Amino acid sequence: MKLAVISCIHGNYEALNAVLSDIDDCKADEIYCLGDLVGYGPHPNAVVEMIRSLDIPTSQGCWDEDIVEGLNACECSYPSQLAEQRGRLAHEWTNEVIHPEVREYLATLPMTLKKDNLCFVHGSPNSEHEYLLPSMDGFAALERVMSVDADVLFCGHTHVPYVRNLEEATLAVRVKEPGKGERATQLETPVKKIINAGSVGEPRHGRPNATYVIYDTDTMQVELREVPYDYKLTCEAIIDKGLPPIFAWRLARGMEFAERADDPDHVCQR
Amino acid sequence: MNPTTIIAVAGPPGSGKTTWIRQFLASKNLTAFYCCPGMGEESVDLARIGYCYPSVQVFPEEKTPEVLSNLPDRALVFLELGFHIDVTAPPLSTLPCRRVAVLPPGLENSPQSSEWHEWADEVVAGSEVAPPKSEEMPEVWRTVLSGRVFDAPSLDEISIELTGDAYGKVQRMKGIFELPDGKAFYVDFAAGLSGIEYTELPISRWLNGRPDRFSGIEVTGWNLDKKTIADTLLGSCLPDSAIASYQEQYKAMLANELEEIAQS
Repeated sequence: MKLAVISCIHGNYEALNAVLSDIDDCKADEIYCLGDLVGYGPHPNAVVEMIRSLDIPTSQGCWDEDIVEGLNACECSYPSQLAEQRGRLAHEWTNEVIHPEVREYLATLPMTLKKDNLCFVHGSPNSEHEYLLPSMDGFAALERVMSVDADVLFCGHTHVPYVRNLEEATLAVRVKEPGKGERATQLETPVKKIINAGSVGEPRHGRPNATYVIYDTDTMQVELREVPYDYKLTCEAIIDKGLPPIFAWRLARGMEFAERADDPDHVCQR
Repeated sequence: MNPTTIIAVAGPPGSGKTTWIRQFLASKNLTAFYCCPGMGEESVDLARIGYCYPSVQVFPEEKTPEVLSNLPDRALVFLELGFHIDVTAPPLSTLPCRRVAVLPPGLENSPQSSEWHEWADEVVAGSEVAPPKSEEMPEVWRTVLSGRVFDAPSLDEISIELTGDAYGKVQRMKGIFELPDGKAFYVDFAAGLSGIEYTELPISRWLNGRPDRFSGIEVTGWNLDKKTIADTLLGSCLPDSAIASYQEQYKAMLANELEEIAQS
């Protein structure tokens, strides 16, 4: 079975349309979405309506959560003061234009989705806001995959797609409990995989093209797809809707609307 | 060089005028003076030379007559002329001085191709900056940022955006910026040269409140969106509470380092 996994659409309707067409061309059997349907981009309602109309199983992203719960960010959400100001501005704009039924839908999204030995999250199983960067400590990465009892963990949030294989490992765990002495356990883990789907609407790989992944459950093959689209339409809409023009400038260069955290050892406190 | 010499240095933005001048400023045998006519009382170049070469006497343009009439023996005076200054008009055209044009290699090898060739006594090969793409003269926008302390990642972002033409076509950007660890950096960009250069200035750390010394930025280019540049710069500056908090942390860190050195 061929699965298409998309993430981080961020109100970029043009990019979503292009990716859905590409998914059709690739003849994927199912589509999964890892959230961040809204935020920064000019068409949050249209994006959510499209995802809903296609009944795409979707896990909740950090921006989706913020629109429901309000801003309560950890420092990793905003690696610079400028990024924080821009993020707050985009949040306020999205918060104003979002339709009530869209907000209600975002509130219903689960943090994780499971399908057999596959798990789908936005950031990490710990939090929608936590970054699973490719350079993250191997033990910590393995812990995240094992915590959801999966062999393959799909995530997004970093906006740069990658595939990371966590080789077979033996983990020795020693637990010391008061009055019970020390207990040692050994765990054998098979190969695990983390697959980051990149970003449909807010890429960060130096080009404006949308990215997503196709995963074949039979062969375990991963294909990172990069889809060109008419990003200038999105840029025009950003300016027309009164969002900061710098968002359009950054989108056209594949630079994200605001930069992200880059510390692989950071544990999100959100 | 003669015991007392005035050298006027001209050239396009980013060609390496200041770099060429700097090679003479470290000499201890001369009393050096430095001025940037046309750049006002305070400018990035003036401040940078003052910070890097405390023995050099930097002076604003309006003091030029006074300084020139009271030069000591063996003085060496550098007048760095902005690209926007008409070097063929008085008083520069009549000033008794040695005229040096610092030009990009391509331009340097094609005599008579610029007013600098006609004006200069000597043409020096400078940096390989990109030739301006527009026939129209670029504008210079500058602002004093003294007392402002920048959030370092924000400064990095705005530098990337500015020099990537997010706020208009930029030919040159240079600035002096204060950071919360008390250090000040000279930031330099010229179109055609690779990347943005960050150089720490050899001045003491300022860890007690807002720095009371010059910092500022100069941007040369076309169609500059000055308001957005100014707003983005201000948005990158830290509030008093953050400055105080960072300064306390750095002071504690430096005190610990000193203690460790004393114990070792």
